[in-house]
Amino acid sequence: MWVCPNCQEAKLGYRRYCRRRVPLKPESACALSLLLSFFTTEMAETKRKTRDYNNRQGNKKRKVSSFKTLKSKSEKNNNDGERRKRTGPRLPNALRKELEHMGRTNRSNSDDEEIDSDDANDVYEYEEAIPEEESMKNRRFDPVENFEYELPKEFKDENVASEDDDDDSDGEDDGSREYQEGDEADGSRHARMLQDITGLPVEAFEGKKRKNDVVLSEAYPESEYNPSRDVLNGDGRISIQDLVDPLHGKSGFSKLRKSMHRMEKKSTPILAPLPKADREKLERKVTYEQSKKDITKWEPLVKRNREAPTLYFDEDVDLGFSTIGAIASEFEPRTEFEKKISALVNDNEVLEAHKKDGARLLELNKISVEDVKDHQDRLAKMRTLLFRHEMKAKRIKKIKSKTYHRLLKKDGLKAAVAEMEMNPEAAKELAMKQEFKRAEERLTLKHKNSSKWAKRILKRGLDVQDEGTRAAIAEQLHQHALLTRKMKSMKDNSSSDDSSDEDYGDDISDSSDQDRASKLLEKAKEKTLGVINEDGEVPKSGVLSLPFMVRGLQKRKETADEEAKLALEEYESSLKQLEGKRVIENVKKGTASGRRIFGAAKKHVEDSSNKIKVDNYYGSSDSEDNLEAKEDIDVDRSNNFKDEINFDPDLLREESEIGHNSFFKSLEDIVKDAGPKTTYEVAIFAADSWKKANNERSKCEKVADVNMKNSSKVDKPVLHDHDIEDVEDGSDSDSEGQMVDGILSSGTKPTYELPSQADLIRRAFAGDDVEDDFEKDKEQVLNEENPEPEKPVLVPGWGQWTNIQQKNGLPSWMLQEHDNARKKREEALKKRKDAHLKHVIISEKLDKKAEKLHTKTLPYPYTSKEVFEQSIRMPIGPEFNPVTTIGALNRPEVVKKAGVIIKPIKFEDVNPHERGEDHKRSGQKKKKSTGGSIKRNTNKIKVK
Amino acid sequence: MKVKVISRSTDEFTRERSQDLQIFARPFVGAMDGHIDAVSCMAKNPNHLKGIFSGSMDGDIRLWDLASRQTVCQFPGHQGAVRGLTASTDGRILVSCGTDCTVRLWNVPLATVIDSDCSSDNSAKPLAVYVWKNAFWAVDHQWNGDLFATAGAQVDIWDHNRSQPVNSFEWGKDTVISVRFNPGEPNVLATSASDRSITIYDLRMSSPARKLIMRTKTNSIAWNPMEPMNFTAANEDCSCYSYDARKLDEARCVHKDHVSAVMDIDYSPTGREFVTGSYDRTVRIFQFNAGHSREVYHTKRMQRVFCVKFSCDGSYVISGSDDTNLRIWKAKASEQLGVLLPRERKNQEYLEAVKNRYKHLPEVKRIVRHRHLPKPIYKASALRRIMTEAERKKEERRRAHSAPGSMPRVPLRKKRIIKEIE
Repeated sequence: MWVCPNCQEAKLGYRRYCRRRVPLKPESACALSLLLSFFTTEMAETKRKTRDYNNRQGNKKRKVSSFKTLKSKSEKNNNDGERRKRTGPRLPNALRKELEHMGRTNRSNSDDEEIDSDDANDVYEYEEAIPEEESMKNRRFDPVENFEYELPKEFKDENVASEDDDDDSDGEDDGSREYQEGDEADGSRHARMLQDITGLPVEAFEGKKRKNDVVLSEAYPESEYNPSRDVLNGDGRISIQDLVDPLHGKSGFSKLRKSMHRMEKKSTPILAPLPKADREKLERKVTYEQSKKDITKWEPLVKRNREAPTLYFDEDVDLGFSTIGAIASEFEPRTEFEKKISALVNDNEVLEAHKKDGARLLELNKISVEDVKDHQDRLAKMRTLLFRHEMKAKRIKKIKSKTYHRLLKKDGLKAAVAEMEMNPEAAKELAMKQEFKRAEERLTLKHKNSSKWAKRILKRGLDVQDEGTRAAIAEQLHQHALLTRKMKSMKDNSSSDDSSDEDYGDDISDSSDQDRASKLLEKAKEKTLGVINEDGEVPKSGVLSLPFMVRGLQKRKETADEEAKLALEEYESSLKQLEGKRVIENVKKGTASGRRIFGAAKKHVEDSSNKIKVDNYYGSSDSEDNLEAKEDIDVDRSNNFKDEINFDPDLLREESEIGHNSFFKSLEDIVKDAGPKTTYEVAIFAADSWKKANNERSKCEKVADVNMKNSSKVDKPVLHDHDIEDVEDGSDSDSEGQMVDGILSSGTKPTYELPSQADLIRRAFAGDDVEDDFEKDKEQVLNEENPEPEKPVLVPGWGQWTNIQQKNGLPSWMLQEHDNARKKREEALKKRKDAHLKHVIISEKLDKKAEKLHTKTLPYPYTSKEVFEQSIRMPIGPEFNPVTTIGALNRPEVVKKAGVIIKPIKFEDVNPHERGEDHKRSGQKKKKSTGGSIKRNTNKIKVK
Repeated sequence: MKVKVISRSTDEFTRERSQDLQIFARPFVGAMDGHIDAVSCMAKNPNHLKGIFSGSMDGDIRLWDLASRQTVCQFPGHQGAVRGLTASTDGRILVSCGTDCTVRLWNVPLATVIDSDCSSDNSAKPLAVYVWKNAFWAVDHQWNGDLFATAGAQVDIWDHNRSQPVNSFEWGKDTVISVRFNPGEPNVLATSASDRSITIYDLRMSSPARKLIMRTKTNSIAWNPMEPMNFTAANEDCSCYSYDARKLDEARCVHKDHVSAVMDIDYSPTGREFVTGSYDRTVRIFQFNAGHSREVYHTKRMQRVFCVKFSCDGSYVISGSDDTNLRIWKAKASEQLGVLLPRERKNQEYLEAVKNRYKHLPEVKRIVRHRHLPKPIYKASALRRIMTEAERKKEERRRAHSAPGSMPRVPLRKKRIIKEIE
């Protein structure tokens, strides 16, 4: 926007003039501005300028009339202006005088005839009386010294909309008019000047000037309320005829004219507008209909999506970086450190060095003398520091002050605790240490008043001691408690069981050599000796310290001692035997026959019976006795040997006399005779191959004994053998008898006749009665599926308080219930499908496992059973289907990728007749085949 | 005759290995605490997956980073409770409104900035503050546009750059309590008011379109982003009602299961399911066409849920509750998080397909449908069942004793609708 500086100037000048009464003609300023308008060819600009000017005039409280008069009227402007001048504003007298004076100066100063010609318009002929405020009538107004209006100092002009001017105008002021007239005059001058410059006639510039005029007078844009010049040239009104005329000759013109005629003929009265509520309602209705229609366009799209087996939301996704390299290449150092590093890494020199064979790197690696020295210095410093530290440690070690060390220890402890909290490794170590200390304490009982000092104190009595000593004793006990308190240990199982087990394992694991046997014996001997030599420590406290317990213990110990002594003897003897046997063994081997097995078997039995007893014995014993038990085991092994040696002859004898049945009796006897009843773990033998050797050995011995003692009883086993044979014979004879029966059935008749076919068949299947079997089977099935009701039974002890109850028998309801159940069963049997089919069993059993695989009702989306069954008939797993179809079979309903934003639906045109699946990809193949159609589709219309 | 078959069961000769992955239903991912009053509203950033805004009753607005579960930025300024939050589609501008009668526009910090300094606690200054005549209850932003709508005494449509609403609608004198733009049709919006009504507006005609009055108040509305004609209303009567905007005389589906008023609802961007938060302290996930919930989420510490949102990728659910915490849940409770190898993915797809196929079988059904419920909710639902059953029985009896045809059966989908106003 171009603001006319002259106007500004003029305005300021006028203001100054108003204040200082400096003669300055406003119209001259206007003329200047119009001269400047020369250079602007655009109509609008001039218009704006003029409006600017007008506005300013308005601001100066000089009422400006805006000219929205028409062109025709504007031609008579001069007269109008003159007429209006009469009714102009009441100017203050001072101003009037000023104007007069100005007019005079104008006249005197200027010699231009244009101005002269304007002269008449320039001067106000103000006829109005003196204003009331000046006349001081009625004293209605406050007396004012200065009637002149003074603008405030910080006054600033503003562009006010021209409409404002319009409102309070009605043409009383002169300024603009002056300006207009001046303008006209200027126009002629302008034209003349143009003529002079261009040499063209005045008419050539006429149109422009006119236009100028029109725009000047127009305050509103052209519209039907503000008709343009052309319209105004006519009668000033637009008739329908005018509008219709241009349509003449076009299609539908006659129709239009007819309807127009009709309308003209009957002029219907215009209806009164509807009430607001109704109007709004109608509006809403229309809106709803419209939006409904609009929304319906989505229907095919939505339908397609709903019918599609799978919705895809993971298409055309750019997840940004794909490789680590790509991510790394985007790295930008941010922190100070990163910047430094990157500066070093990206240093040109270094890069350069790396580029070729790297020889330059060597040069870069060169270290300066200063650096080396620096390094050496640092090393030296470190060494001295280390040395000092060492010295300090030595000195501290030498310090003898107890207080100092105590404090040091305390500090150390604190530090350790702190470290333990920080560092799990240290904690573990500490725990180990603690465990060790605990073990030590438990072993030595160092703090349990076992020291000489403590004993002495206790002997003298604690009550006699002074406070400090008692405290010290208490402290010691406390220390003990602390040390022996069980910590959360690292390993769970205690060691005692393990050790015994290991011993045990050692015993077992060895080979079945006789050396082993002797070794074991030796070991056992040692142990027994140990037991005997062991001092019986009577516990001082607890249950075991009670007198009767002590007595019992002693008794037990004595017996154990005796046993041990016996065992010891046996060991010795068996050891000797072993040695002897080694010599004999080879000789005797041949004598071991099948017959002997009996003996071995017997022994076995005996072993087991022993074992049972032993087990019982141990069941009641404490677990603390483990050690003892183990020793006992060893003892018993030797016992066993002895038994064998002792009882074998008896056994043989008894066996021959009584037979098999007497085995156990004899065994019992043997066991009774066996002398010392001792504990005994047979498991060892059972698991052991050593046992076999044992058996063999015992057999050999047996034989030896027998041979030595009574050789007369050797024939007994033979007798026994015979017995067995007898028994076998008996069984044989039985079977023979049967056979005889079979022969009898076929061969009783003396005369042989050919049997009939039926007979033959009957005979052939004489044994198996198929029909009967079937009936039985059926009955069984029926019973299974409809079980027979149980007979009512009185539960003993229930309802039997008196005899009467017993006499009455079962209560009636029970009987009734039973009856009902029976009836029900019969009915159920009758209802069965195979009730009337004699040779058929139709199972009506409910298979509970199969029941799990059936639905009770048809699931929701399915409408027919067949379809549903079809749908779950074929498996969908990868084992049963080719790779190509698995994807399609297992695809979820919605395929989306985590981390991908899903945008709301976008409109696209969908062919409603196309199948939903075809459109979207549902497998690679389909996609390929329908790819073309998809493309076509997407290309067709892309809305939004 | 018995037929013997050699059968070889896989279970007998394969044993469990340590590598076997068992995925249990562990939906709870984490909680985000920081607010000092109940979380009243949330907004997701449509352009940035990790960002979520939450406003609380004390006027605090926070931007959270879902991945690190930390506050990224705070937006201080509101004097009263923040009742509505929404972000523009490009995720640059956050709009908040509250009971202090102001609408505030904020600049959302960029995603890169969020990533780089999530530790520093920075608070933003509002871009603009527009003070208006009435307190606001809700705000929602148009999809792909410059407009946003606020709800209060009336519905006002605002432009980002204007300090006054460009349009305002008033139909009835009751307070409008929620407003939602239709993401598919950006010029259509639905509101619910305290006169138990749901109203649909069309900005193209700049006029309300239709009003539906139900028996109870609707607390929140959500449009289906994939089906622009459908929306679901979260009602005070413990149910949600899915409507077709073209046929408002009948609900398309009634989603029952909550035992107290449903406070908020949000659709998954896939349009196949939606999440609801209820006053009964649970969050439920429904299929868009299912009558009962697919999933129910609860924790001991979660109180009344006031707002729920589905994440923009449809795999998480965020709930804001009375206990000042935001909670992140998995949308699929037994989903395995993290990157899946193709074979793993295929295997899981297969397992899912098998489950889906046999879900009707009684045993499978029992496991699939079984959800552990807190005792109060279990009892309340049992009580509700009893009540509805009693009502039904009573009606049956009345029908039996009245003239045939005089008591027509009204389906539940129509029962709760009073009338439709043009």
